[in-house]
Amino acid sequence: MRFLKLIIVLLFISVPLAASADKAKTIDDLAKMYDSSRCKDCHAEIYGQWEKSHHARPLMGVKGGLMLTPLAKKGETAFSPEDPKKATLKNFPCFKCHLPQAITSAEDSVAVELAEALIAGDKAKVGRLQITCIVCHSDKAIVHKRELGEPEKGVLYGAKNMDSHPDKIFTKVKKSAIMHDSIACGQCHGLGPNFEFDQAFQCANLYGSYLHNYISSGGTKSCQDCHMQKGDHLFALDWNDDKGASALLGKAISLEVETLGYEWLKKAKTYIPKVVVSTTITTTAGHRVPDG
Amino acid sequence: MVVTAKAADGKEIGKVEKHYHPQATNCRDTKMKYGAQWKVANLRDTSFQPMKPKKETIEFDLPEGVRAADVTVDLFYELGNPEQKYPIHTITKKVSLDR
Ligand code: HEC
Ligand code: HEC
Ligand code: HEC
Ligand code: HEC
Ligand code: HEC
Repeated sequence: MRFLKLIIVLLFISVPLAASADKAKTIDDLAKMYDSSRCKDCHAEIYGQWEKSHHARPLMGVKGGLMLTPLAKKGETAFSPEDPKKATLKNFPCFKCHLPQAITSAEDSVAVELAEALIAGDKAKVGRLQITCIVCHSDKAIVHKRELGEPEKGVLYGAKNMDSHPDKIFTKVKKSAIMHDSIACGQCHGLGPNFEFDQAFQCANLYGSYLHNYISSGGTKSCQDCHMQKGDHLFALDWNDDKGASALLGKAISLEVETLGYEWLKKAKTYIPKVVVSTTITTTAGHRVPDG
Repeated sequence: MVVTAKAADGKEIGKVEKHYHPQATNCRDTKMKYGAQWKVANLRDTSFQPMKPKKETIEFDLPEGVRAADVTVDLFYELGNPEQKYPIHTITKKVSLDR
């Protein structure tokens, strides 16, 4: 019996090491490497919120539209490969923010598999690629890498230190310097054109708007203050939920309408009956709405 | 936002649409683009800005004999295309030139 137990323990230890040693060759490998499904056992509420969020379906598009499909098709965009079989990670610059783990942890073969899955409309496969708990609580938790180093293996980064964290792979939690700071979100929510690519392009630039319009107007709240009250991981605005999205927008955006009816004297004896409508729209957001 | 003025009989007197969003081109031609793979930089931004109320004044001249109008202001969010429409607010007001 003792022997059997030992083997089991060894197996558990060897899984993460093997997974982190080399890069993922398939979508399945990459999904497993960043798999967060076991976090659900102990963080059920947060998991349930995250699962419904856009972060859980970053390559799916709104309502399952598979928005990366043009990038997989020859000639449709400047980034598209000659042939999906020849796709590389470089054909999907969108990974920078929509799937950052592909850049650090995937081989080009993952890009080939993705290109083929997009063309085949294989939503189940594309849907496995997510911005999981581990992406934010490990890879994206450190921006001061010169001072603080790379995220450590087996360590999650959160709001506090925990010498022992009961997960089987991430056995420790360290305090992240940026978890409560807007910059944690800014890493993906965009400043403007992405210049580091050989072909510049722009997607989200909401963080730029936050810095240059909200902070500059005296705003003091962080993204987390407004979007993650009590640790909420839904981050709100779920475009697949029509009623919910309308209700949230209705609360965040106010519309005031004033009207006036009178006769304007254009020139002697020439009255023009007029209706004047004045509208004022205000938002409670900390950045432009809409973005992108 | 769509602002419509209608006469008592329901006939449309005027309709004004305002679009609020950042607008980007590819910096090679003058056509606005949709989609990250084609956009390079914003060249105009009419979106709602934080702590800055967006004000508009819209005027309708009433046709002969019309002395009242129903004004409707419809604010909605269009995601990508007109089929993906999320209503936000609809306000209707009656305006009369008679006191
Ligand atoms: C700088 C980070 C960043 C890059 C690079 C990026 N995106 Fe995005 N994208 C985002 C964020 C954040 C959102 C959601 C928030 C928003 O729109 O403000 C988003 C939203 C979208 C949406 C709308 C939501 C949806 O799922 O339909 C589409 C479509 C999209 N991105 C496509 C792309 C494509 C295609 C590329 C690559 C050519 C790309 N993005 C590159 C950050 C980025
Ligand atoms: C998009 C990035 C992102 C993702 C994805 C994400 N988190 Fe978080 N998480 C954060 C941030 C940021 C905070 C700190 C929030 C704050 O400042 O209050 C946080 C806080 C937490 C906390 C502390 C909560 C509290 O009440 O103090 C836990 C636990 C947590 N996350 C677990 C998870 C789990 C489990 C998942 C996956 C189901 C997950 N997170 C996915 C960004 C993320
Ligand atoms: C066996 C149960 C268990 C599993 C599995 C588990 N956790 Fe935890 N986690 C905990 C407990 C207990 C705490 C401490 C909660 C507290 O003190 O509020 C914690 C704390 C955390 C914190 C720090 C919270 C803070 O306030 O900063 C983060 C982040 C976190 N977990 C993320 C994860 C992620 C991501 C996963 C999946 C990879 C995961 N956990 C899996 C039990 C678990
Ligand atoms: C790893 C990159 C990444 C990080 C970090 C990140 N986001 Fe996102 N976020 C995205 C992407 C990509 C999308 C769009 C997904 C899609 O295509 O639907 C998104 C979508 C959203 C949405 C949904 C709205 C919409 O229009 O799609 C909200 C709200 C949001 N993020 C808020 C936050 C906040 C707040 C933080 C910081 C706590 C944060 N995000 C951190 C990448 C990120
Ligand atoms: C002062 C409060 C506040 C702050 C600060 C704030 N937001 Fe928002 N944000 C909102 C509100 C309100 C909305 C509108 C809808 C809603 O209620 O979710 C919104 C909408 C969004 C959307 C959807 C935009 C769209 O049109 O598609 C994203 C994405 C987002 N926020 C991300 C962020 C990120 C990232 C940060 C930090 C850089 C941030 N927010 C800071 C309040 C805020």
